Amino acid sequence: MGIRVAESRRSGIRTPTVVGLAVGVVGIFAVFAVRALTPALGKWSLPNQLQDLLTLSISVIVESLPFVILGILLSIIVQVWIPDRWIMRILPANPILRRGVISFLGIFLPVCECGNVPLARGLIVKGFTVSESMTFLLAAPILNPITIITTGQAFGFDSWVFVARLVGGFVIANVIGWLFSKHPDQDSLLTDRFAAECRMPDPHEHGETRWKKSIELFTRESGVIMPALFIGSLVAGLVQVAVPRAVLLNLGSNPVWSILAMMVLAFVISVCSNVDSFFILPFASTFMPGSISVFLVFGPIIDIKMLTLMRTTFTAKVLVQLTVVVALLSALIGLVVNYVA
Amino acid sequence: MWRSVRRWQGIVLVVAALVSTVWLAVTNQLILYIHPRYIVFTVIMAVLGLVLVVASFVSKPDHDHDEPPKRWRAVLSITATVVTLAVAVGLVVVPPATLTTATANQRVINSTGVGAGTQNVSSAASAPAGTFAKFTVLDWSSLLRQTSDASFYQNKAADVTGFITSDKSDPDNVFYVSRFVITCCAVDAQPIGVPVYLPNWRSSFSADEWVRVKGEFDTNPSRTSQESIALVPSDTTKVDQPSDPYLY
Repeated sequence: MGIRVAESRRSGIRTPTVVGLAVGVVGIFAVFAVRALTPALGKWSLPNQLQDLLTLSISVIVESLPFVILGILLSIIVQVWIPDRWIMRILPANPILRRGVISFLGIFLPVCECGNVPLARGLIVKGFTVSESMTFLLAAPILNPITIITTGQAFGFDSWVFVARLVGGFVIANVIGWLFSKHPDQDSLLTDRFAAECRMPDPHEHGETRWKKSIELFTRESGVIMPALFIGSLVAGLVQVAVPRAVLLNLGSNPVWSILAMMVLAFVISVCSNVDSFFILPFASTFMPGSISVFLVFGPIIDIKMLTLMRTTFTAKVLVQLTVVVALLSALIGLVVNYVA
Repeated sequence: MWRSVRRWQGIVLVVAALVSTVWLAVTNQLILYIHPRYIVFTVIMAVLGLVLVVASFVSKPDHDHDEPPKRWRAVLSITATVVTLAVAVGLVVVPPATLTTATANQRVINSTGVGAGTQNVSSAASAPAGTFAKFTVLDWSSLLRQTSDASFYQNKAADVTGFITSDKSDPDNVFYVSRFVITCCAVDAQPIGVPVYLPNWRSSFSADEWVRVKGEFDTNPSRTSQESIALVPSDTTKVDQPSDPYLY
């Protein structure tokens, strides 16, 4: 009897699996065929602005995609393959020290900011508090080897901009972590959907293999992250087409306005923290060093693409508070650098 | 039901993005969107992603953990789904293209110091004559930023290729041979350009067209243009867009 049940269950799984695989693979080839054949139909004469909107949005997607995949992969490794005690044991028990150490996790998990979102989600599921994962999310894009090297190469390892970026990133991430750790109900900082996911005793404990858990996590995370990435990229493209750059550039030499202009630029451009130093370097001749620091501190934490991605995990209220506090703190850092440099 | 919509939306978007990425890489068009240095990393992650997608077709989904959303949330979700699918269709169907003059004008040509140190006036002054024919729009715009002394440009023949963007201060007689300079991806593209004095250029050319201009730099004859030095062409021809339209 037991054997018969097992057999019927096995064959019940096998049929849809094969069909699913066949449909999926054919689907992939169909998309590939459409992509390969449509250029033969000739150029679309879209209006320039619409064409550029599409090019810019696709550019954000293509640039972020490898980091998102890498982030999801690392999140899978952390959630499924690394034993709980490994991560938890090396962290100090004192909450402030703990967040201090967490700020440097990015050195071992060097993912760009968009890849950090799935990773931070994974860390919450793994047992991090919400405020701890926020500290990681905000610090890791700045305190990681690639960003440190590119920033140093662009501005010099002994420059004010370099120091302001690293120290500023650390301070902001820890202040934010400390502020949100004071919230009495940590779960209420999360979206209902994600909080429900975290509350499950072990969401994947259905007697599955680790491989199956990993695949299941990949599907679930791409279901959450990809729509956010697409919408974030489209909005980032729209704003770029709509806001004339000259408006921002004219504000460059004023110590206060240039800081605001750089925040707006960082918010709009949504460029990856690993390379944003090279992007902003040409602006260094027209903008004050404090405002360049603001771009490099504020940009990796808050921009259009990041807010849409973070919205998968945190409530809108939390994101507004986060944006305001990060903006004020980075403006303060910028003013200090403008004063001393 | 709700969960499977979410699940399939994610898979569809991942497939659209990954397949397009691989196709762009195979046809050498990924450089229209990102800097060449990221191509290897991007392709490796795209292939890994596709392997995971195929594996997900084999895996049977978990039982349903999600509650169906409330009404207004459902409307929002459906709108978001439609928007993301529209972008996905754009990604898969519309032929890849470079940025156009719309972005060049919006970001203002030569407005940042990009490429300011690409060429140096003193070393260029003593360079052998053949060097200048190889100078790109970026090299010349770098020199133009440093000196407007017309004598410096004498006997230095230029041969540059770029797309046409009109000069706002004298749109009928002066245009820029322009290119975008990229540090990471098309999002951060900075337009740069070399002013060309060609009276009534619109009679034979139009904005966004790719041209190859040969000639020498001299004091700009235009009365209204704000550019003091301009390329006075001896020969201007339409050309196809190069396969690597951006400069780095």
